[in-house]
Amino acid sequence: MFVYPQHSGFNAMKLQTHSLHITRSGKEILKGITFAVDTGEVYALLGGNGAGKSTTLLSFLGFLSPSSGTIQVNNKDVTSDVASARKMIAYLPESASLYEHLNARENIEYFLQLAGTSANKNDIDAALDRVSLAAEARLRKLRDYSKGMRQKVAIALAILRDTDVLLLDEPTSGLDPSAIDEFHQLIRSLADSGKTILMVTHDVYGACQVADKIGLLRNGTLVGEFTAQGEESIDTETVHKAFSSSIGTSSHAEPA
Amino acid sequence: MSTFNALMREIKFTARDRTVVFWMVTVLGLSAISLAFGLAEVKHQQATIQQLLDANQQERDAEFEKLKDWGSAAYYTFHLTYDAPSDFAFAALGQRDVQPWKHRIRMLALEGQIYERDVGNPSIALIGRFDFAFFTAFIVPLVLIILLYDLRASEKTAGRYNLLEATVGQSSSFWFLRAAVRSGALFLCLIATLFIAGMIAGTAVSKLLLAGLWVLIYIIFWTVICFFIAAWRKPGSVILMTLITVWVSTAVILPALSRLAIDKLVPVPPGADILMMQRETVNDAWDLPRETTMNAFFEEHPQWSDYQQVESSFEWQWYYAFQQVGDQKTRDLSTAYQNGRLQRADIAAWVSLLAPPSLLERSLQALANTDLNTSIDYEESVRAYHAALREFYYPKFFLNQPFDKALLKNLPKFEPNQ
Repeated sequence: MFVYPQHSGFNAMKLQTHSLHITRSGKEILKGITFAVDTGEVYALLGGNGAGKSTTLLSFLGFLSPSSGTIQVNNKDVTSDVASARKMIAYLPESASLYEHLNARENIEYFLQLAGTSANKNDIDAALDRVSLAAEARLRKLRDYSKGMRQKVAIALAILRDTDVLLLDEPTSGLDPSAIDEFHQLIRSLADSGKTILMVTHDVYGACQVADKIGLLRNGTLVGEFTAQGEESIDTETVHKAFSSSIGTSSHAEPA
Repeated sequence: MSTFNALMREIKFTARDRTVVFWMVTVLGLSAISLAFGLAEVKHQQATIQQLLDANQQERDAEFEKLKDWGSAAYYTFHLTYDAPSDFAFAALGQRDVQPWKHRIRMLALEGQIYERDVGNPSIALIGRFDFAFFTAFIVPLVLIILLYDLRASEKTAGRYNLLEATVGQSSSFWFLRAAVRSGALFLCLIATLFIAGMIAGTAVSKLLLAGLWVLIYIIFWTVICFFIAAWRKPGSVILMTLITVWVSTAVILPALSRLAIDKLVPVPPGADILMMQRETVNDAWDLPRETTMNAFFEEHPQWSDYQQVESSFEWQWYYAFQQVGDQKTRDLSTAYQNGRLQRADIAAWVSLLAPPSLLERSLQALANTDLNTSIDYEESVRAYHAALREFYYPKFFLNQPFDKALLKNLPKFEPNQ
């Protein structure tokens, strides 16, 4: 069902913003958005181009500082301790470009080392199995990979980081339909194992399939939030209607 | 992760980067070529000196057989002077391309003999040699710029920047380490080839270590410049243009402008004027009254004024006196020429503090004893040796000592500067 966001207490929340305003080059990108993602939840931010989805994601990583309002990861203010926030987060950028002169395993090893962790060959292969990257492709340089294969490596990397929080920016871009289904199952299982996941996407159907909550952004404002009820997924038709409305001519979505 | 582990991670990563490896191999190759040129040139100069020493000795032995008086001995005997290349000259040939490092002098007027010399290939004098000092001072910064200008910009273009920043946590140390590994690899390529060349040339270890220190400081300087400019939130092309502008300013424009300004500020008499004045003085002496020449000579050598007055139409003491008066006449001009060159070099040394490529090249040339000061020291050693020859011969002329070939073995020997 569709409810307007009304968060009053965020004490147990893994990710949260409160009245977050972000301005870039004199233009206000986020206009006081407030939302929270609980432990083990999948939260999908939906919105058209320029709605502020990626800006919201990047602000959790400390790339953008709020002009006002707060942004927290695990109840710690991101702006005051960016490094700590980043340690808790695995980030999957849109069309993740890993190093083309390294193969899948070398890329994963390198980025894990950057994060101050490591994984043995079996763990890496297990993660690559989970994202269904063909075994024979794993020793090829990434320059020979398709966009979808690269995305799978990046997802495997995010899994292996084994952080509490995953931030995913258009994670299914470049994946074929069957890989998208597998990815959604993977996201669901990660959330069920206690990971907190915030993803931004254009994919209304995918978001409804996997998310516990969907936030609808328009022009830097959170205009609505949809929450799954029990075992039932969020109603695709309702979200689609609101989404179309938000990127169309009507001023804001109507509650279902 | 410990710094050591992080360092090993970046070294391993850099070793897999074909672009970086290509530039390292290029630097290694060009450094080796520049050093090979230097070693070959030094070997050629050493061989030339040895050939001249042998030929000079043979000629002198043959000439001594024919000598019958002290005046002829002084006139017909040539004396080889030379400035042997140092054990580090292969790395920085410096002024040895444009300043003389060998002479065959006689007891005649000296200043003309010093400046009347072979000048080598003027085109080489114009562009300089491709030696290690030139390569390191002027070319290596360009390679560093290529390696470091897009350290961050290339990651942004590839869409990895945010992922890297989000993954590493403390991003400044990560970027610094990545830059340091590339610069360190470049330094190792330079220093490895320099040390191998040094071993071939038998260079003192202390000299190699000092040269290594200069090169290290220089690489650090350019790394810091590149690192901070590359950290700007600007496109790679803007960063590259900015760094190239810094390089052109410090390596080309500032040295060229300062040279023009210094030449204007410190006028130096043309070397040819010294030569002409001395020749005219010596030639005119044949037509002047003897007293005029001898009085000018006795002003500087009063100890001989009581001996052997010149009476006949030709006497050796008169002949060598007017040679010496030729030097006396040109002394002011010669001193002005020398002081002017030194003053220009001093000012250029100060200006080079603003032009690091020139500063490194000058430092390596000073270490290699191929700078202007060394060249002028050599000229002074030639003057001192010529003065010793005069001290040897003048008593023979003025005291009218009987000619004795055996005494020629007491002729002063030229001892090159160490």
